[in-house]
Amino acid sequence: MIARAWGPAVLGLFVLAVVMSFFNFEISKWQWMLNGVVFFGGAVVFTISRGMTFFVVKRLFETVFVVWMIASLTFILLRVLPGGPFDSEKALPPEVLANLAKKYHLNDSVPKQYLDYMVDLLHGDLGQSYKYIGRDTSAIIAESLPSSVQLGIYALLISYIVGIPAGVLAGWKQGSKTDFAAMFLAISGVSLPSFLMAPIFIMVFCFWLGWFEPALWEGPGYYVLPMVVLGLRPAAVIARLTRASVLEVIHSDYIRTAKAKGLDSRTILFKHVLRNSLIPVLTLSGPLAAGVLTGSFVIEQIFAIPGIAKHLVLSVTNRDYPLILGTTLLFSVMLVIANLVTDFLMAVIDPRVKMI
Amino acid sequence: MRLMVVMVLVALTAACTGKSSHLEYGLDVKETMRVNLLSEPPTLDWSKATDTTSATVIFNIMETLVNYNLADPELPPIPGLATDWTASEGARIWTFNLRKGVKWTDGTEFIGQHVVDGWERMLNPATASEYAYFLFPVKNAKAFNAGKIKDFKEVGIKINDQGQVVVELEKPMGYFPLLLTHHSTCPIRKDTVAKFGDKWTDPKNIQTLGAYALKVWDHDKNIVLERNENYYGEKAKIKNVLAYMINEYSTALNLFESGKLDFQETIPFKELPQYKNRPGFHSVPSLSLWYMGFNVRKPPFNDVKVRKAFSLAVNRKQVTDLLNGGHTPLTSWVPLGMFGYEKEIGTKFDAAKAAAMLDEAGYKDRTKFPKVSLALNTNENHQRVAENVQAQLKKNLGIDIQVVNEEWKVYLNRLHNDTPSLFRMGWLADFPDPDNFMNVMTSYSDNNYTGWKNKHYDELIEAAASSLDKEKRREIYKEAQKLLTETEVPVVPVFSDVRPILLSERVQNFPLNSINRWILKGVSFK
Repeated sequence: MIARAWGPAVLGLFVLAVVMSFFNFEISKWQWMLNGVVFFGGAVVFTISRGMTFFVVKRLFETVFVVWMIASLTFILLRVLPGGPFDSEKALPPEVLANLAKKYHLNDSVPKQYLDYMVDLLHGDLGQSYKYIGRDTSAIIAESLPSSVQLGIYALLISYIVGIPAGVLAGWKQGSKTDFAAMFLAISGVSLPSFLMAPIFIMVFCFWLGWFEPALWEGPGYYVLPMVVLGLRPAAVIARLTRASVLEVIHSDYIRTAKAKGLDSRTILFKHVLRNSLIPVLTLSGPLAAGVLTGSFVIEQIFAIPGIAKHLVLSVTNRDYPLILGTTLLFSVMLVIANLVTDFLMAVIDPRVKMI
Repeated sequence: MRLMVVMVLVALTAACTGKSSHLEYGLDVKETMRVNLLSEPPTLDWSKATDTTSATVIFNIMETLVNYNLADPELPPIPGLATDWTASEGARIWTFNLRKGVKWTDGTEFIGQHVVDGWERMLNPATASEYAYFLFPVKNAKAFNAGKIKDFKEVGIKINDQGQVVVELEKPMGYFPLLLTHHSTCPIRKDTVAKFGDKWTDPKNIQTLGAYALKVWDHDKNIVLERNENYYGEKAKIKNVLAYMINEYSTALNLFESGKLDFQETIPFKELPQYKNRPGFHSVPSLSLWYMGFNVRKPPFNDVKVRKAFSLAVNRKQVTDLLNGGHTPLTSWVPLGMFGYEKEIGTKFDAAKAAAMLDEAGYKDRTKFPKVSLALNTNENHQRVAENVQAQLKKNLGIDIQVVNEEWKVYLNRLHNDTPSLFRMGWLADFPDPDNFMNVMTSYSDNNYTGWKNKHYDELIEAAASSLDKEKRREIYKEAQKLLTETEVPVVPVFSDVRPILLSERVQNFPLNSINRWILKGVSFK
């Protein structure tokens, strides 16, 4: 009974939180806690009941290893990269450079710097940014990540809501005008870059129609355009994948059997085709979600959204070592977790999937 | 399906709410100047800030000892926190009278010790302030910053019995008060810094004494300033300033077009034509310099004739026409708008003379000319200028040069460690005195990448810096500039920059100035 209620509960709470955030309602501490308990508690119960504990624990250990590898590689690459954080247009006198090097321990040997960094990392300390003087890297991430995640979730929802029906419809009515129209739009969505789509949308919806705001991140009127532009490409990818997958399923034996025994086409579509053809889409969702949730530099620039993607790009330009490491680690952790969640959801949806 | 309905409803609601005109943080648009800062200020700690964005905010919430008269194009110094000052011992000792009755935002009286505290903090090696070198002319300041002197009492700043600030310099410096217009030399509240550490610049902690006070700092998003009712001078005319941090120009221009910004600086040159004839458009000359430098340590540019030939072969006017933004062609080292600027100084464009000069240098057979590249940092405008110079050299001298670009920090690194034979660089004024520009090319300057060292030039610059006689200084700078740009030519000045600025129609009395100091206290709405 509880197991059956879990799925709808997760979905319901999630949709509620998304809608509330969209209208700038504050999500209370209690709601966060309830969500946490339902999401993770349910996942833990499910994991144990399906005998996947070993799998999940193993994956978590792998995550730690992956993060360590990425941290080490990034650290080394940064030291190899020419140009330092304090190379500036106006050259600094040696006395000043010496003080800076001392403050940020840049004169220590590289192995010592590496060890210090790893020890701090184990304590959850990402260090202070060089560029944003006196601010902790973790504080910068904590302040800029929410906008990116918020935008990413909206964009993902849009892409599923648009992409899956479009793909199913196109596959189900293969060769029809609907199919051609949907696939034409999908190809356009994949191939048109967002830096082109964004200005077009702004011109049409802000300056001609006056419906939405051209930039900034203040409320619903500001959220719509960036989320649509960011959602377009994933929507197109999902539509094309769904169509291909639907076609494959339609031509399989069990659908022929279903048709032969006289089931009406609605039942075949919703009960047999749809469910099975969504598995490849789900596989793709991990990387897709990680990519979208960590923000898009172009979209954040064009719409002036205070997100994290800007820091990932500009920290490199500024040679802001702690911030580069912090954002890189964050992105890799998000990617690994997104893949883990995808694998987990596969197990939930497809009972044949065995986790070892 | 239900989700679809929700989304449609959402879109409709958004469409309705989109047009409301109230501002964030409950600000009233009629009392709020909306400006674009272009980016997040890296810090508001004035002892540590190095960039123009931070400086713009700091200059509106803090006050310097000496201000500029922004209404005068030559930007002469006028009283700020110091009411007047006198020089003695031939400009080696400076005495500043401080303003009475100035209060910090928490009501504390401003005293001379706050100035000393500010300087001590800036020079303290542990602070690691990048602009600490600004105070190096002060006696023992450099040694204190290098950690060679531990006691700050040995540094040349004191408060005397009359409460005056007395500054003793290493050697005479005629323009010293101009250094005190810089944000890094502002007084500071040591108690605040000690109490809150790195968090002292948060709006709830910071203590300032300027015309505006810092109310909100939402990182990467907004800064809100509010009129400081305790300000000693004439109170700010507009109650609030709402600053955005939008670094994409086209985005900012979109917001400007939809009436959401009152001030935007910087417009991409491609878009200039459609803004040029607007009533709120201003093209403000900037005290800056775009130049090409030669590495004089290596052939072919160790030969002064080759350097002169290059300088003669570049028609500056052609470059500024290409940029089409009102830039000033420049052959002198001191830019237009600054004391010491002389239009006639420098090597003027003369293609025939240039070719003859190169022949004379032994390259009559142009194929013998070594392969050289013009190096620059990756930037669309620099690239356009460099390609134009490349074409001019081909046409006027008959030689082929390569244009190579590198990412900014890689480029800076190369300038220091492996200077290219021909490179582009720039200089932007810290304060409006020719010494700020002329000093760049001294033999001991960290910013002189050319390897050119000239003792006579160094002496001239030092003589001019220590003098209080304006006419004498003008003559010396004239001689030094001639030496630099006509006789020795280690550098080729090309043009000086402009800032395109957009102001909304309701803004008046905006202090447009060539040093990019946007002080908003006098700005009002129509």
